[in-house]
Amino acid sequence: MKRTIKNIVLLGAALLASSCSLFQLDNYDAPEETLYGKVVDRNGNPVLTDQGSEGIRVRLMETSWEGNVNPLDFYCMPDGTFRNTKLFEADYNIRIDGPFIPIVRETSDGIVIEDNSVNTHIKGSKEVNFVVDPFLNVELLSSQISNGKITAKVRVTRGVSRDAFRDAVEPMGDFDPAFANITDIQLFVGYSSSMGYRNRDERWSNKIEYAGASFDAHLGEVVEITSLGAIPSNRKVFIRAAARINYDTPRGTGTKRWNYSPVAEVNVP
Amino acid sequence: MKKSIILILSAALLAASCVQMDLPSKNKVSDEDLLTSPSGMTVYMARLYSHLPLEDFKYMAKWGLNKNAWLGGLGGDGTGESINRDDICRSFVGEDNAYWDEAFTSMHDANHLIETLPNYRSNFNSDMQYNEFLGEGYFVRAFVLYQMARRYGGVPLAIKQIDYDPENPDNMELPRASEEETWEQICADFTMAAELLPETSSKRGYANKYVALTYKAEAMLYAGTIAKYNETVSGRLTGLGEKTGVRVIGFEESKAAELSKKWFSESYKAAREVMNSGKYSLYKKAWKAGNREAQYQNMVDMWKDLTSPENIFVREYSYPTVTHGIDAYSSPYYWHAPLAGGSCPTLDFVELFDGLPRYPNGQLRTTTGNGPAEGTYEMYETTYELFKDAEPRLRAYVILPDDTFRGRKIEVYAGIYTGSAPVSPFFSDYSYSSATTTYTNLDQFTNKSNQTLFMSPNPSEMTSIKVNGQDMTTNGSAGPWYSYGEATVNGFHLRKYLDPDLTLADIGEGKSDQPFILMRYADVLLAAAEAGVELAIAGAPSPVEGDDMLAVATQAIRDIRERAGADELTSALKADNESRDIVRRERRKELAFEHKSKWDIRRWRVCHEEGRAGFWGEQRDPSLTGSGSNFRFRGLFPFYSTATGKYFFDARFRLSVDKTFGYSPVDYYFAIPSNQVSKSKYIDQQPNR
Repeated sequence: MKRTIKNIVLLGAALLASSCSLFQLDNYDAPEETLYGKVVDRNGNPVLTDQGSEGIRVRLMETSWEGNVNPLDFYCMPDGTFRNTKLFEADYNIRIDGPFIPIVRETSDGIVIEDNSVNTHIKGSKEVNFVVDPFLNVELLSSQISNGKITAKVRVTRGVSRDAFRDAVEPMGDFDPAFANITDIQLFVGYSSSMGYRNRDERWSNKIEYAGASFDAHLGEVVEITSLGAIPSNRKVFIRAAARINYDTPRGTGTKRWNYSPVAEVNVP
Repeated sequence: MKKSIILILSAALLAASCVQMDLPSKNKVSDEDLLTSPSGMTVYMARLYSHLPLEDFKYMAKWGLNKNAWLGGLGGDGTGESINRDDICRSFVGEDNAYWDEAFTSMHDANHLIETLPNYRSNFNSDMQYNEFLGEGYFVRAFVLYQMARRYGGVPLAIKQIDYDPENPDNMELPRASEEETWEQICADFTMAAELLPETSSKRGYANKYVALTYKAEAMLYAGTIAKYNETVSGRLTGLGEKTGVRVIGFEESKAAELSKKWFSESYKAAREVMNSGKYSLYKKAWKAGNREAQYQNMVDMWKDLTSPENIFVREYSYPTVTHGIDAYSSPYYWHAPLAGGSCPTLDFVELFDGLPRYPNGQLRTTTGNGPAEGTYEMYETTYELFKDAEPRLRAYVILPDDTFRGRKIEVYAGIYTGSAPVSPFFSDYSYSSATTTYTNLDQFTNKSNQTLFMSPNPSEMTSIKVNGQDMTTNGSAGPWYSYGEATVNGFHLRKYLDPDLTLADIGEGKSDQPFILMRYADVLLAAAEAGVELAIAGAPSPVEGDDMLAVATQAIRDIRERAGADELTSALKADNESRDIVRRERRKELAFEHKSKWDIRRWRVCHEEGRAGFWGEQRDPSLTGSGSNFRFRGLFPFYSTATGKYFFDARFRLSVDKTFGYSPVDYYFAIPSNQVSKSKYIDQQPNR
């Protein structure tokens, strides 16, 4: 009996040792390549955004892989830069989607009109920058505070004119001039220094909506927008303005992304 | 010596085996066993039906079709019908257990039946018997494809039996068809099933001609609606698959309107055929004209009555073998076994119903002013008094505060207020932006030196205060408590589908066996009404000769309202969006807690930010309850005022449970399971993901 048990144990040990390549190391390197870069407009100014699925999306497709490739998505940081330090060494196609003229434009039948995505090999640390045409430029000029409410002065101008927008987007099919309408201006308020749609405090953030093309009369003018509720005193909050047009990117997602102003800090007395 | 015997024996055994391997295995059930007789077919049907993707007590939207009765609740899937404390309560943006693999198993079984049964035609006595089984095959395939299409859009149309063929893996691959083709196939399969199936099922629980037609009406209503309302979503919700170039979601802009009309017509025709058969009617066994108590009781009885003439397709349960647990999870706190309060209807849902006091903006009136922050609270003798004129259907679906259930009063209040009367509103701001501020933040509660509001955190720490010399607990014995999720969290309890005849000892996990009505006559009336009004709006002619579609729709709504005890529909429906909303609102009310509304708000495309005004079927200002892609639902919290000896109500987004919901346009088509996309050369992910 004792011997049987011993035999079984020995046999078991032998099986364990032989299975699963016990003495072999996993020789595949951990993903440790880095991709970084920024998204800027034609003047070299960063295109600001919010980190999250409503912001600028960076999409990698591994082109050196044979077979099916699932996209690897990540999102730009609020200052319009992106960085991913956990990538495998490989060839990639890199595209970005956000509140600017799409860098990859196809007709509804899939014929490529223009493709400014980047194909590159990523090894070590790789910088890739994108120059785009943001739909709007949003400036947060100043802000005042009274009774816990912040009133911000915001100026919105077009980064691309209606005609330029039309020239770029119409060949993609199903064009509607209403795409270029500015639909709303947002004032995001909250405790987070990386202020934006995701981190906004719904108690205080506010928006102004514009029907049809009615905002066009206010282009380049100073628009005032006041926060909701009352922010408790002796607090430091961060504010940010944003605006968007009636056009979802990438087309078909229904997600209309905002162009953002820089973040400002407000001390509530 | 011993060793050699063993050796010889094994050699002999080896030699003896492998003589003739070409024999059918005795432990394998073959077509010869199953498809040759009605009793064999019963076995085949049992498999088909047990795999059918039914949404009943064992379906929770977040988990998907994993047939698990745990946490059984109804309406907590982002429709606003109810909320609860758990993370299963969220918007319907996908299912953890994506319905994909099992769909192909079911379709394989159905295809095998359709393709093989003709070989055994002579084994069946009558055409009718043979046709019924063949028709079941088409019904199952249509049903499965319909479930997939409303989740994913275009799917692989596995309408031929695909066998395992490792030599030619390409033969097992099937790309997704276009969404248009998918709905056409569903329409064709339901039509075929309706032609083959008998008018009455040969066995209880089987499909029949009218089951097929009602599901056809529902499926085509879905297709017609999305063909029309995809156009209202920015980006038009369409795109071509990356691998195949097939339009796997949405429709071509130039064809959308025609497709929509065509599918609404199919829906209308199918629904009318069921109505004209005269085989079904609304359940009115206990109903009496003008008697609200009888109308209420009638709508309580109908869920358990298996002889109801309204029932078209029913999932039955039977204790102790086939059971679920709705009563164990969703009863009021008195029947906490092992949980309670799993389905708490929201105030926003209750506001759909007639007979409630309202502000000019349509919200429930709690104060003397023109809004919840104005005037002083209205006082009521009991918490039920506010609802004394509410439509009987509301009372049958929702346990209202202080109403009777299972023989006892359901005592609901959130606190006692000892300040002077009249009482001014607790908050200055009732807007969405103040949603997270709740009663525990109030100075009346936190200022212990001058406390006027008394509430307890949970039932085991319940305190009392002296009221007229008597002890009175700070909260109702059924809740709600400010830090407890296993009871009502918002003042209301689900009544619909709970068994009213149980005691605590009868309740537990796997002890409930009331049936789930998957399809009933009210569904048919509402499908005919909605398709009829949509067709009239589109200027299409009636698909049924001699029918006045708007008159049919008007009568359908009148019949449902009459049975429910709701306000009468005074003017006939017209070809406009107001009339469409009358039908939608009725549907939202009548079919609540039946796993229907989450599909309705999805096909109407009213969950995302820009469409949310139509979320409740009727038009409401979405900024009152949401911001951006986020939204919430309110509760109604009663308080006892010691100064008056009466109760008052406050409508607020939260007490204990803090739930925010969210929805983006991409959620209107669920993602294809990513392992399916990555392992196949053909299966496309949604182009907008």
